[in-house]
Amino acid sequence: MKRLRVVLSLVLAFVLTLSLLSGCTSKTKQQSSQPNSTGQASKNKNFKVGLVTDVGGINDHSFNQLAYQGIEKAKNELGVTVNFIQSKQQTDYVTNLTQFAQQKYNLVIAVGYLMKDAVEQVSKEFPDTKFLIIDSDITDRPNVASATFKTEQCGYLVGVMAGLMEKEKNAKLNDQNVVGVIGGMQIPPVDSYIAGFQQGVKAVNPDTKVLVSYTGNFNDPASGKQMALTQISQGADIVFGVAGQAGDGVINAAKEKNIYAIGVDADQNYMAPDTVMTSALKKVDTATFDTIKSVLDNNFKSGLVYFDLANDGVGYAKPIKDVPQSIVDKVDEYAKQIKDGTIKVSDQVQK
Amino acid sequence: MKEILLNPQLWSATLAMATPLALPALGGTFSERSGVVNIAMEGIMLIAAFFAVLFAHLTGSAWLGLLGAIVVGMIVAVIFAWAAVTLTADQVILGMAINIFASGFTAYLLNTIFGFSGTPTDTPMLPNINIPVIKNIPFIGQILSGNSVIVYLMIILIFASNYFLFHTNLGLRIRAVGENPEAAETAGINVIKLRYLGVALSGLFSAIGGAYLSIGLLNSFSTDMSSGRGYIALAAMIFGKWTPFGSFGAALLFGFATALSMQLQNSAMSKNIIMMLPYILTVLALVGVGGKSVSPAADGVPYTPKK
Repeated sequence: MKRLRVVLSLVLAFVLTLSLLSGCTSKTKQQSSQPNSTGQASKNKNFKVGLVTDVGGINDHSFNQLAYQGIEKAKNELGVTVNFIQSKQQTDYVTNLTQFAQQKYNLVIAVGYLMKDAVEQVSKEFPDTKFLIIDSDITDRPNVASATFKTEQCGYLVGVMAGLMEKEKNAKLNDQNVVGVIGGMQIPPVDSYIAGFQQGVKAVNPDTKVLVSYTGNFNDPASGKQMALTQISQGADIVFGVAGQAGDGVINAAKEKNIYAIGVDADQNYMAPDTVMTSALKKVDTATFDTIKSVLDNNFKSGLVYFDLANDGVGYAKPIKDVPQSIVDKVDEYAKQIKDGTIKVSDQVQK
Repeated sequence: MKEILLNPQLWSATLAMATPLALPALGGTFSERSGVVNIAMEGIMLIAAFFAVLFAHLTGSAWLGLLGAIVVGMIVAVIFAWAAVTLTADQVILGMAINIFASGFTAYLLNTIFGFSGTPTDTPMLPNINIPVIKNIPFIGQILSGNSVIVYLMIILIFASNYFLFHTNLGLRIRAVGENPEAAETAGINVIKLRYLGVALSGLFSAIGGAYLSIGLLNSFSTDMSSGRGYIALAAMIFGKWTPFGSFGAALLFGFATALSMQLQNSAMSKNIIMMLPYILTVLALVGVGGKSVSPAADGVPYTPKK
């Protein structure tokens, strides 16, 4: 009996280790398109990029997935070696970042505002490794670049679209003039979207009521769905989910109740083609790809790197045909005014 | 406040959020009544949620998805029972191991099988049931009708479990094994077999709860989507004094707190305080606001048959 127990505990320990490792599937297949010279190719192949996702994970249909698409593109077009680890919880951040840095990865990418403290700590211990953090504002490290997205700008544009749609009439719209936005955690990269959305709606339709709720997490689509159903019961006929995977539930609720949803980060129209009328885009893939390229070309710049409407770092996805061309033109007009600075969008949520 | 309480969505959200707590709580009740502490409900739910989507997608039928989830959930439960009952391993550590394993295992399978764009959007979903007559009653109809089929299944299972546990011989035996296995064995009851049964049933109910999350409420799986419900279910089970009706009542209370916090988000109260509601309630439940709850006497104690 005792021997069995020893064996069992060993098996358990093994299973535990396996499950911890299962997040980091190695992605080092042969490249399909090789860069021109073989010398360059082998140099690029030795160039290693590690991506640490936030707890939302790589299939979040939004920013973690986009970050991953950016490094995949770098793998295919630049021939660099890429790898990723999915963080299971916030306490994993330091361990995961350290793991890549210790293995002498040239560039380590941290996806998410919540990883700020972890990146500050690890980047200090590994001054020779370059770090990119998405959605943060670390400026005092020579080896850290922070990609900051002006998502209040694209939030504003989809807000304008929602506000104008409220004046339209069709089977999916009621006459209560209420729209809703569902955030994940109450943190700046989420709130900037919400703030922009509120201002955009008010700019074109001051009487529209904008409901704001938070699920408190990014990985619970069931509560995202109930949250959206709650807003729908309060009159909302357009819901905007800014909640990672929890946002999947928002889109599901909109589809079930036959109203409109607005996608976030990536173009999420494919999840419900008649429901997702547009998506607010945050081009994290551009940020990761460009940074990989800059490090490869010895052009790495530390500090803040801004992505906004002007440099096409944020935007909105092509609306479905339910959105009249006149509204799309209006949205583009607002986009122009934001680009040339006529309209300044605040990133602070209105109470 | 009156407006909120009269919003049928508050009550249907209560039911919807209570279901994935009541099912694993019911499962935990069976396991612990038979004397095995099972904290692996969280992991079993998560694994079942994944396989529900996988089988539903492969077969094109949400029902077969549910069936597949139940089979896989019970397999995991039986493995747990083998280690906990036959090999007398520490039940809490074992449960924890399964939970951690489930999280990594499902994330790995999701990426390997479905790739990075997640589960397919055309995955079938279990139907919502409209009850004739009742659905036409104002207010009540909006709450009691039109829920997922799992919600109704859950209510049937609660009643059936209560009957089984307290009004049948087999139920009495399960409880005897959890209170005093030595005495039960002396009376000719096979302790090991009944503990396997208790744990297997906890796998069954947790699996239905997991399938509800992925193909009952939604039609997709995402990593860690059980998000702690297996643990809240443990609290519901304890608050419910290890009885089916008690667990159901506690789950309803937690579901109500969650639904209420959703309704209150657009009121003047601070959102952070509102989001704490369900958790405050959990803590209050556990410190014994609902009166003293006593666990089965042999709960968590491995048993080695006297030869």
